[in-house]
Amino acid sequence: MLAFWQTAVKNRDLILQSLGRHLMICAAALCLGVLVAVPAGIALSRRPRAAARILAVFSVINTIPSIVLLGLAMILFGLGFAPSVAVLFLYSLLPILRGTYAGLTGVDPKYVKAATGMGMNPRQLLQHVRLPLALPALLTGIRLSAIYVISWATLAAFIGGGGLGDVIWMGLQSYNFPLVFCGTIPAIVLALLASALFNRLIRLAQKHVREEVRR
Amino acid sequence: MNWPALLTAVATHLKITLLGVAIGAVVGLPLAALLVRFRRFGRGVFSVVDAIQTIPTLAMMTIVMLAFGLNDTTVVVSIALYSLFPITRNTYVGLTGIDAGTIRAGRGIGMTPLQIFTGIRFPIALPMILTGIRLALVTALSITTTGVFIGAGGLGMLIWRGIQTRNMGMMLSGAIPASLLAVFCELFIGWMEKRLKHSQ
Amino acid sequence: MIRLENVSMAYGEHEVLRSVSLHIPEGKLAVLIGPSGCGKTTTLQLINRLIVPTEGRIFVGDTDIAEADPVQLRRGIGYVIQEIGLFPHMTIRQNIEIVPKLLGWDEERRNARTTELLRLVGIESHYLERYPGKLSGGQQQRIGLLRALAADPPIILMDEPFGALDPITRESLQDEIMLLQKKLRKTIVFVTHDMDEALKIADLIILMKDGEVVQAATPHRLLSHPANAFVESFIGKHRGSRRLETIRDVMSERVVCAGGDVSIVEAVDLMRREQVPSLFITDESGRFLGQVQIGDLGDAVPEQDCAVSKLMRTEVPAVQVTDSARDVFRMMLDARIDELPVLDAERRILGIVTRRSMVQSLASAVWEEGR
Repeated sequence: MLAFWQTAVKNRDLILQSLGRHLMICAAALCLGVLVAVPAGIALSRRPRAAARILAVFSVINTIPSIVLLGLAMILFGLGFAPSVAVLFLYSLLPILRGTYAGLTGVDPKYVKAATGMGMNPRQLLQHVRLPLALPALLTGIRLSAIYVISWATLAAFIGGGGLGDVIWMGLQSYNFPLVFCGTIPAIVLALLASALFNRLIRLAQKHVREEVRR
Repeated sequence: MNWPALLTAVATHLKITLLGVAIGAVVGLPLAALLVRFRRFGRGVFSVVDAIQTIPTLAMMTIVMLAFGLNDTTVVVSIALYSLFPITRNTYVGLTGIDAGTIRAGRGIGMTPLQIFTGIRFPIALPMILTGIRLALVTALSITTTGVFIGAGGLGMLIWRGIQTRNMGMMLSGAIPASLLAVFCELFIGWMEKRLKHSQ
Repeated sequence: MIRLENVSMAYGEHEVLRSVSLHIPEGKLAVLIGPSGCGKTTTLQLINRLIVPTEGRIFVGDTDIAEADPVQLRRGIGYVIQEIGLFPHMTIRQNIEIVPKLLGWDEERRNARTTELLRLVGIESHYLERYPGKLSGGQQQRIGLLRALAADPPIILMDEPFGALDPITRESLQDEIMLLQKKLRKTIVFVTHDMDEALKIADLIILMKDGEVVQAATPHRLLSHPANAFVESFIGKHRGSRRLETIRDVMSERVVCAGGDVSIVEAVDLMRREQVPSLFITDESGRFLGQVQIGDLGDAVPEQDCAVSKLMRTEVPAVQVTDSARDVFRMMLDARIDELPVLDAERRILGIVTRRSMVQSLASAVWEEGR
């Protein structure tokens, strides 16, 4: 225990720098993922057949072990920030895409009927009705992606992307287990915080969306 | 191409993966069945299982490593832990998602709770149980490749060496089998699920 | 106001509407009714262009809706559906104000309109900040109605709006609609499969079968002159009901009349003896000339031998003996009249309808229909 704190203090620069880097990679990958996958999910929600095919393709891509894609990226594009973000971005797409698609297609048709009948055009329908009601599922998708991205970013260090994986690796290499935990614990805390944050957001989004039946 | 090494790697890879998922299933399936019976524990159990799921893979393995060392066993235990969520949740949903009318009919003709379970709940839940196993397997295959970092064997070794030495050939010799295994599981078990669902 | 000209609608081989022509006049509540699959909902959805016909033209006002922008068209037509569909993520206020908001009304104008609407149906303003999930089905649909009325559209379309509600709530909402209609005089097209409902609220009933209009008429005419056997069987138990009743069945034949030359003194005496508040003045053949009420005479006491004909009111509402009881009662309630003389074709008085006759008629309707 004491060894852990001593190591932590001693290496605090490295730890903080790695943490910062880790956050940057995750934030970049996730933001890009949301920017691409949410509009894509919206577009797909109108074409269920194309959606089934595209989701199937991405499902297969996501089964490929992360280290394989990270390795490929490294060999093809070299070390660093960009290749790491690119791979993580690719992996982050599926959960967000699924969540957005499921959310939008899961909207009770009666709301769409009422909204169309009262004179909303498609954009207004999306903005005022479909997206707000799809929000819980959408956020669930983003939450899942966030957790995956935080996890895989630890591996990105191994291809020179930086991040908490660096700390863990250093510790493993030198059999310095307290140092390993200086990387492990922040990673866990980060993941749990992200999970809790998104869960909170999801609960907020769900608050009124679920109709309570009271007769 | 070092075939013996490759075959050994594949064998180890499969051993670790299947063992890990099997342990996860041995714990997770009965757990789900129990939760169907004792629903109020559901919330507590699932928050624990959910929290385990959130922990980054590498981080998890370093913790398990404290107890089991830098070897294959750590990876097996980690996989078992990560298999809990997909298997338990999907099995639980499959068992409880059954139309209440069907259950009532079973009770009406005099089935005991155990008979209802084996005769109605379980068969109907089978596709979802398979889904859980599929998810666990695919994740496990990925985790095993990462196991190389904490001293386990398997295809991860070939991949990592290939990366370190910038040897595309070696990397692919590990990456391709690993990916194929994962894709195969996903598609094959997915197909089985669909078949089972349609036959209902 | 709304006109369908030879409208046909088919899905592939399946013909849902066959060359339907309809006219719904402005300010009337028209009910589309018929068995499942008759095309009533399809007809409704053609009006706000949720569906497009395979043939024929539809006019709202003077516009052929095929040439109008669907979104703009719908904003000018209120729409109420059976599933209610209040947006659960919006407050009641936001739900009501959604169309005005889409039309770009500023906040002040929206608030004013919402207050006005609430007052119209007597809902308290504290409901505004609540969410629909907290309301009962009946309350939700009342809000649904307000939402449809918010932008003050001239036309409201209602697709089995009370179908999902319990009978008691349904009745109260029917009454509500009729009350609103009296105040607002919108053109309402109302789809239902419930004949009771149709007979109760409609100004015009359009009975459909297999994609065609079988008969379009007022409730009274439908009941008294069904066009064919199908209409008869569809009306079913309503035939021969109290609603068929003419005023002849309920009027009281005890009418106190007097000639126009009767003096005031004699008139007052007569009224006192017969214990009536008014006299009906007739000529020699019994034709109705006017009415004298006790209040009118009080002022003229000094001129006691003045002829009553000088004081009588001649602009007195009267009804024909063949008028339907229901229509007459309605008129009496609307115009707050206590009694009406009943005349025949020659304007001779045959009887009188009072509030009491109304009560008697309704009472026996209740007891008789209960059997």
